[in-house]
Amino acid sequence: MTAVITGIGWVSSTSMGCGTDHDHVSMKKGPLPDIKRKMVLAKPAKAFGRMDRFSKTGLAAISFALKDACLETWDKKRDIGIIASTTYGCLDTDIRYFDTVIPEQGLLASPGLFAYTLSNCFLGEAAIYFGLTGAGYIINEMLPGGMYSLQTALRILVSGENDIMVCGFCDLGNPIPLDNETGTDDTVSGALFFVIEKIPGKSCKTYGTLRMEENSRIFLNETAIDNWCMLADTCFKKNDAFKA
Amino acid sequence: MRQVWVTDAAAVTALGDSCEKTWQGLMAGRTAIQAVSRFPTFNYNSSMAACIDNLTPGDNQSLIQQLTERILCQLHNVPETSLLITATTKAGIDSLEKIRRHQPIGLPDILLSSLPASISRKLKLADKGINISAACASSTIAVAHGASLIASGNAESVLVCCMDTVTEFVFSGFSSLNAMSDTGARPFDKDRNGLTLGEGAAAILMMSSKAAGKHGKPHLGTIAGWGAANDAAHITAPARDGCGLIQAAQKALKMAAVGKEAIAAVNAHGTGTIYNDMMEITAFRSIFHNCRIPVNSVKGAIGHTLGAAGGIEVVLGLKALSGQILPPTVGLNIPEETAMDLVSSQPVNISGDYLLTTNSGFGGVNAAIVLKRGKTP
Repeated sequence: MTAVITGIGWVSSTSMGCGTDHDHVSMKKGPLPDIKRKMVLAKPAKAFGRMDRFSKTGLAAISFALKDACLETWDKKRDIGIIASTTYGCLDTDIRYFDTVIPEQGLLASPGLFAYTLSNCFLGEAAIYFGLTGAGYIINEMLPGGMYSLQTALRILVSGENDIMVCGFCDLGNPIPLDNETGTDDTVSGALFFVIEKIPGKSCKTYGTLRMEENSRIFLNETAIDNWCMLADTCFKKNDAFKA
Repeated sequence: MRQVWVTDAAAVTALGDSCEKTWQGLMAGRTAIQAVSRFPTFNYNSSMAACIDNLTPGDNQSLIQQLTERILCQLHNVPETSLLITATTKAGIDSLEKIRRHQPIGLPDILLSSLPASISRKLKLADKGINISAACASSTIAVAHGASLIASGNAESVLVCCMDTVTEFVFSGFSSLNAMSDTGARPFDKDRNGLTLGEGAAAILMMSSKAAGKHGKPHLGTIAGWGAANDAAHITAPARDGCGLIQAAQKALKMAAVGKEAIAAVNAHGTGTIYNDMMEITAFRSIFHNCRIPVNSVKGAIGHTLGAAGGIEVVLGLKALSGQILPPTVGLNIPEETAMDLVSSQPVNISGDYLLTTNSGFGGVNAAIVLKRGKTP
């Protein structure tokens, strides 16, 4: 089961952008940047200003990844799917929405906020802006940084359902302390997405070959991968070789 | 590709605490939609929902805990090696309501990943599980994902559990979008004026035929094909031309390797909103051309159960195939002109081995599953 990585995009507290323009990814904890449309999207997107922070962050990282893979522009919709992992999802938006419900017993409930209380909505925004018609869904894992969405994307490529997938994670951290097993806030804030392809297409480069073993263990260029940040780091090691 | 058998199926809806009770209610044309007493509704554009009898939160608990108990107690001997996939849009969001109102809460079930964790613990499964969130197609995609793991040989047994509850959080949101009917959902009716929220749960145990034989499980049906696609058109409104639904259904039919003439009936998403139902009829006309295929929706009876809708409809779809009869579309009085020859307010006899079930949702999501009749009635 193999595929190639052709694009990387991310938003973090210290940087944002795509693989072509950087030599490493830094996903340190910290406040995320205030993302403006012109920073991430080439063409106007009327919904961008209305989006919640979670959606802007995820959409921006997907946008950078597609740009990196030379898949940013399109004139016909494409059967490309997106799968994203998250632990806290749009909980921050949930809180802000429900705080509009409480004061007047629902009279002032915000439809604009409610529309973004489903964590898959930013995948829909990406689908609209980039013309992506493949399956798009969110995977919620107990442990932040889980790589189930990458495993799933690889399986979809192998099944032949899609030839190109976008996968990664988006998390803004825990907005409220939760006294349970999922409540430890060790989440990396930000979003990191990869474009993976069965065979390199339009892209002028690859970051290497992904391989998944039967036990779902993932390797990039034969280096075992334990988490998303390690995957990005390994991409850049390979990319150095390509630049040389 | 290996066959994916459904070997156990359970449902809890506002019509009853089992698949059988729900089925009987549907066939009798009953609706569980009534005035909500769980929270004040005087500031919302509807007071109606399909709530489950006596579903009340325990001390400092979420409703989702009780619903989980009610669905899991219906399952029979789930192999502990089964993989677990849950589907919910908001899990225990009522716990967040309490937090924001400074009320006491116990175990918060707010995070969607808390649902698989809780179910895995209760069933003593080795797998901690994942949750799939894709708006109102969440459980359709969860079933499809589970089926793909079995079909590809990556799993022998997968349990899908899906559920959502009627909470003020969600109710107020749909009210703010003016999406709810003030009288109760009337899917495909010419005078339909919106959806009605409902709550419910379903559990579907899927296995390879080999594993089913090993565990002595019945063959209730087969997940024969599946597909998902995005409209890439609008976040909260369906694409008028049904492009995403058409693409999803065509993928499912292709995977099932059956022609459209093999489909005996369609379980539609059928929310009762003007645009959803119109989009679906447009899509079904495109997929089935001039075939007069029976179409129904259960949402006039049990409400729109959001992330649980697809799973509940898979369970009811298998029941329809088994009995070769499609339940009536409750709430339907005079059909929308374009759906006149497709939908009925009466049960409809069907003839065939395959049923298509579809769901669509916010974010432009569409998903479709082709069910095949099982050997065990």
